[in-house]
Parts: sequence; C-alpha cells; structure tokens
Amino acid sequence: MITHDLFLPLPLPILSLGTMLLLGSIAWHRSLTRSLAIGFFTLVLALGGLNYHLGSPQVEGASLFVHDRWGNYTALLILLSSLCILLMSWRDLHHDKTHPMDEYPLLLVLGTLGAITMVFSTNYLPFFLGVEIQALSLMGLVASRPYYFAQATEASMKYLILSGVSSAILLFGIGLAYATTGSLYFSPPPASPDNTIPAIATIMILVGVFFKLSAVPFHMWLPDVMEGSPPPVAAFMAVVSKIAIFSSLVRYFGTEETPVYLHGILFTVIILTILGGNILALRQTNLIRLLAYSSIAHVGYLLIAFFSPGQLRSEAITLYLAAYAASTLGIFAIICAFSWAENSNGSHIPKWKGLFYTRPFLATTLSLMLLSLAGIPPGIGFFAKFEVAATGVERQQTLLLATLVVGSIIGLYYYLYVIRTLMGAQNTPSLPVKEGHSPELTTLIVVLTLIVVVGGIFPARMIPQVLPSPTSPQNGLINDPVHEPENS
Amino acid sequence: MNTLALLSGSLTLLGAIMVITRRVAVHAVLYLVVTLLALATVFALLGAPFAAVLEVIIYAGAIMVLFVFVIMMLNLGQPDREREKEWLRPRIWGGPALLSTILCAELIYSLSTLPQQTDSFSPLSARDVGLSLFGPYVLMVELVSFLLLAGLVTAFHIGRHRMENR
Repeated sequence: MITHDLFLPLPLPILSLGTMLLLGSIAWHRSLTRSLAIGFFTLVLALGGLNYHLGSPQVEGASLFVHDRWGNYTALLILLSSLCILLMSWRDLHHDKTHPMDEYPLLLVLGTLGAITMVFSTNYLPFFLGVEIQALSLMGLVASRPYYFAQATEASMKYLILSGVSSAILLFGIGLAYATTGSLYFSPPPASPDNTIPAIATIMILVGVFFKLSAVPFHMWLPDVMEGSPPPVAAFMAVVSKIAIFSSLVRYFGTEETPVYLHGILFTVIILTILGGNILALRQTNLIRLLAYSSIAHVGYLLIAFFSPGQLRSEAITLYLAAYAASTLGIFAIICAFSWAENSNGSHIPKWKGLFYTRPFLATTLSLMLLSLAGIPPGIGFFAKFEVAATGVERQQTLLLATLVVGSIIGLYYYLYVIRTLMGAQNTPSLPVKEGHSPELTTLIVVLTLIVVVGGIFPARMIPQVLPSPTSPQNGLINDPVHEPENS
Repeated sequence: MNTLALLSGSLTLLGAIMVITRRVAVHAVLYLVVTLLALATVFALLGAPFAAVLEVIIYAGAIMVLFVFVIMMLNLGQPDREREKEWLRPRIWGGPALLSTILCAELIYSLSTLPQQTDSFSPLSARDVGLSLFGPYVLMVELVSFLLLAGLVTAFHIGRHRMENR
C-alpha cells in the first residue's frame, strides 16, 4: 500500500483532526465556548506532538516534508503564538452574543495548519498549499469583526487582492524553477552564466516571499490590513504568518551563502526595509499602524541575520524570532485588555495618555514590551538585536550595520513617544477598561512579561542550536531542540 | 504552432480583462467561459491534452454551471423574464461569441493541419494522474481539501454577515 511512502510530522494530522472535530461540533450545535475549547486543546495537543512524526523519513529530495530542529523550533513558536492569540480573542468573541462566531477558532486552527505546513515542507507543493491555506483563513479572520464590519471587509478585500498578486508571482517563479530543474524540491535552482531562467525564477520566488513578509517595496498592504482587522488577528498577521514565511525563506536558501546574483537585491531590500519601516512609523498616531510599521522594520533586522550566514546566524535568528514574537504578542494582549467601544478606535495613541496613573500594571508591562522592541537592556530585544549586529560584524556588512544603527535610533523615538504619552499628566479621560476582570488576559500578559524580562537577563538559556552552522555542520548536538522557558 | 499558442494566449488575456471590467455578473461569466476555453487551447497546444480536457470539463463546464446557479439564486427581486431580456441582448453576447468563433476557427485549422500520427501515444493518461494523486501526493490532495475548506468557511462567514446586515 501507499502508507510506507507517507512521512509527516505529527502536528499536521493533529491540527487536521482538530479542524474536522470543530466542523462536526459546529454542524451539530453552535456553541462558542466549546469551539474555543476544542481549538485550544487541538493547539495544545499539536504542541505535545511536536517531537513525533508518522512514517519514516525518506531519502533527500524525495519526500514532501522534513522534520528537523529548525522546523520544530519555528513550529513551536507558531503554536505558542496561536495559543496566545486564541486566549486574546476569547473575551472579544464572548462580548457579542448576537453573532456567535464559531468560525473564528476554526479559521485560527486552519491558519495555524497552513503555517505549520509551510514550516515543515521541503517541496514547492506543500509550501504553496500552506501559504494559500493560511492566506484564505486569514482573510476570513480579518473580516471577523462584529462592529466596524465595513472597514474589516475592506481590509479583507485588500488582503485578498495583494495576497493573490504575490501568490501569482510566487507561482510563476515556482513554475520557472520546475521548468529548469524538473524537480519540485524546495531549493533555489542552480544558476549558470549562460542561462538566466534559474536566476529569474529565484528572484520571482524571492519577490513573492518579500510580499508576504512585507519587506519595503512590497509593504503597503500590511498597515492598512492590520488596522482594519481585530487586534488578535493583527497579532496573528504580524507574528505567526511572518515567522512561517521567514522560516520557509531560511529553509529555501539553506545554511549556505545566498547566490551572488541576489546580493544586490537583498542589500537594497534590507536597507529600504529598515529605513522605510522606521521612518513611516514616526508619524503614526494609531498604535496598531505603528506596530505594523515597526514589524516591517523588524523584518529588515531579521533579514540582516539571514543575509550574513556565519557561526552566529543560528543563534541570532532563533533569539530574534522569540524576542519579536513575545514582545509583539505582549503589546497586542495589552491592546486587547482595553475595551473597544462601538464608536471609538481604542488604538489611537493620544487616548492612552496618563495610563501610568490609572492602570500602572498595564502601563509598566506595555513600556517593558516597547523597550524590548526598541532594543533596550531590560528586555530580551536588546540581546536579540545585539546578536543580529554580531552576525553583521562577523561578515563585515558595514553598510547594513550602519543602517541598523540609524534605524534603531529612529525606532527609539517612536517607541519612547508612546511611553511618554503613557506618562503624560492625566487631563483627559483615559480609555475605558473592560468591565470585570479577564484572568486569561492577565495571565497572558504576566507570562509574556516574564519571558521578555527573564529572557533579557538570561538569554543564553533561550538559545537552542536549531540551524546547523554553515562551515562545520554539527547536527549531533545533544541539547533538547525545543527546550524553552515558555513551556513552564 | 507558435502563432496559434500566442493567439490563444492573447484571447485568454482579452477574456480575462473583459471578465473583471463587466458590471453584470452574467456577462462576466460569459467572458469567463471564453477565457477558460482559450486557456484549454493553450494547454492542448503545449502538449498537455489531459489538462486541457479537465479545464473544459471541470472549469468551463461544471464550475460555470455553479456560477450561473448562484447568480440566479442571489438575484432575487426583479421578475425573471424582464431580467433575462435585459441580460441577453445581442450587444452583450456578441463579444464572447466573436471570441469563441475565433477559437473555433483555430481549433478547426489545427485539426486539419494535424500531422498523421500512426502510433497514438498518450503522454499522460487519467490513470497516471490518478495514481500519482492518490499515491505519493495523497497528502497534497488532503491539504488541498483543507484549502477548499478554508475558502468555503471564509466565504460563508463573510456572506453571513452581509445577509444579516441588510
């Protein structure tokens, strides 16, 4: 039979089964609490199944999926982030009794399935299917806002069109790569001086990936879509989908040097992304838009580490992804802790004035997260940025390092602007806080703050060796691939 | 051969542009049928007859019926007879008819100039496609089903809100 050909990491079938269970449960009787609970347990089970897989791995190039440390680590980040996002949206979903939104957990689990598929795939087919599953479910999630429905649909439409364009470019590149190599294996086609088609294919695939990552010439959609979508979904877009596509990018080019003909493009895109993201964030008055631009800038920093393969690259990327995910999720959890009145947009920054006097706990945690994103010592973000800079130093990327410094200085201005607003004298009525207490949000904020602070003090504990270093491939390291303080 | 492929390709492009610029859904569907037929011709000329046949049977056939059915279900209100008269003016179906006539002429021309092949070899049969879909690529078939599920749930989710907000 065909079963001996199959090989897939266990989180994939768990998430698929969870989706089927959710479908059955919704078809039988709509109950939001039960759907959310099933979604929650599916994600927890998938987290537990990370180290296992079905079937036996095949020879290189023949299989569709791979199960290695890099995939495991990014899948762990994705699953933990999805759990956080599910907890964040718990309260918002229960708020509106007239529109039970059972589809929300279903689409969240489906989106996570797409992201996990991308992370584990070593073939163009599952990679592209993962990208599309995630994009389609994200489209539904963006439009899942009971109020502001018109804006949410508009954001969803924008996302549909731009994600369609980027998928078309990606698919064209994949087609050209298949035409030259005759294989769907997930790696750049070998280029030769007399044949430009492999180079064109690689560039088109890279452009598609940059669209999804929202690197600067292709970044316009992200702030608009994130502003129109509910805050937890914006967090999903900023964290889960970026980690998934970045993980695929690293897997695509492997641990070796990127091809020479890409250096100019990568160089330009990195500089534009860091400067563009930071400069555009300067004048924002909406916290979610500001976070969108800051996430564009962070993609730029990550790309520096991607572009400088060396001994330090694995550590830098690992730490940076964890730091970025924890800090961004923390800020979104705090945004979710404030109520969203029917007629006012709660993410308007001037409305947060004087928060230190009215809600000292939330204001302190928000400041910690922002400082971590800015790269200031108490947070984990400092060490992450330090590691990224170290990779640049290792490979003598002087211009990129200068851009990193300039970008960080600009970034400091707008992060500190938010904190200054929080400290401002309270002469305006501050944001209405959600009535009653929400234990899940408080727990989430406390846990994420602990990760950010403890990770900032003991960063070495958070660095597992997940990518083999390019010069001396040491795959036999014995340390636990998924050892993370987040599990405790 | 090259000219024919280019002609079919430009017909596909023309049809696709007409699809997204029509205001009435039925008119767009007419052009969409032509687009899909032209695309099938491109496939056939590139040496993928099986993909061409699938394109005609599934897309131009089954999915178009579904489109028309949904359009008829959603456009309630106007009496049917007036609506049909409004939709089916010669001005409307003239364009798609012209494009499909060109396609038909192309088909007849390429059939008449077909080289006589004695050994009728088939590069890829339905059996091969089925065996590889449900052999090594069975996981991909399952993933595609989840992709369709995501699309379905999303469409239902957005559509339900629209209906409630009316």
